[in-house]
Amino acid sequence: MFKDLDPILHSQLRLAVMSLLIGVKEAEFTFIRESTNSTAGNLSVQIQKLKDVGYIDVNKKFKDNYPLTTCKITRKGIDAFEIYVKNLQEYLKVK
Amino acid sequence: MSTKNILTEQESLNIINEMIQKTKDNYHESGISALLWGTVVTIASLVTYAQYQYNFKLIFDIWLIVFVAIIPQIIITIQEKKNIKVKRHIDPAIDAVWIVFGITIFGLVVYQNIVPNATLNIIKEDGWEMMIHYTNGSKPDKILKPFAPSIASIFILIYALPTMITGLATKFKPMIIGAIISYVLFIFSLYTINKFDMLFCAGAAIVNWLIPGIILQRRYLKKLPCNV
Repeated sequence: MFKDLDPILHSQLRLAVMSLLIGVKEAEFTFIRESTNSTAGNLSVQIQKLKDVGYIDVNKKFKDNYPLTTCKITRKGIDAFEIYVKNLQEYLKVK
Repeated sequence: MSTKNILTEQESLNIINEMIQKTKDNYHESGISALLWGTVVTIASLVTYAQYQYNFKLIFDIWLIVFVAIIPQIIITIQEKKNIKVKRHIDPAIDAVWIVFGITIFGLVVYQNIVPNATLNIIKEDGWEMMIHYTNGSKPDKILKPFAPSIASIFILIYALPTMITGLATKFKPMIIGAIISYVLFIFSLYTINKFDMLFCAGAAIVNWLIPGIILQRRYLKKLPCNV
């Protein structure tokens, strides 16, 4: 029996954000926006959703008088991502 | 990229692969620091060799350029930190290795400069001294000032350490090869006099930093990914 894919992760932009963050310690908001080719507004909303469920940590500070937002994946986020990939592999194996 | 929730499993997998690849591709190391230290240590070693070989002495110690090079290195580090948009898990560990390397080299320079005089004082207090005695009697005996034998070999050995760690950790072959060549040069230097040790020192600086630095710089200018 297949397990349902995590609805938080099973979304194009949120999955892209988590896939970027899984391989790094932390990444700046601008890097994520450029890499995912998304708009700042849309990305902010999706990042907030990931933060609300505890999958990522968001740190806001100032650098050279400009706001700087950095994101990093949490332990809960890593676990959720690993489960998501495992379930995904099970789906693909059957197909 | 949209927020669509109707993703097929294959689409999900493609997104994951694409994003992981983008993270890898984003990391560009300019190689400026490697170029700087490769050049500085090569010049200092070759000038020292030339001083032995052609019997002249500069009005200043050429190795002081190593300390002068710390200033541009600090500026480079600050600039690079400013421009980094992504921090990798491995970065703090690699930074730590190079900081410890710097401290170790500084410690070795202090050792090299303090130990001879300190030893001289200790043995003087003990009431004895070291002498050079020519077994064939060709020259009269003379007092020998204590020195750290083949200290350049130790420098070569330590040069290879952070390069090998960085090369292995980041899978950057030029650094791994450079460090291996350094270990070979270290062995050679054990059997040669200080003059030739300086050539091995220059060789170690070239293979450890200068060549990897040139490779990194070329990749950086071409915007090719380099996970170092």
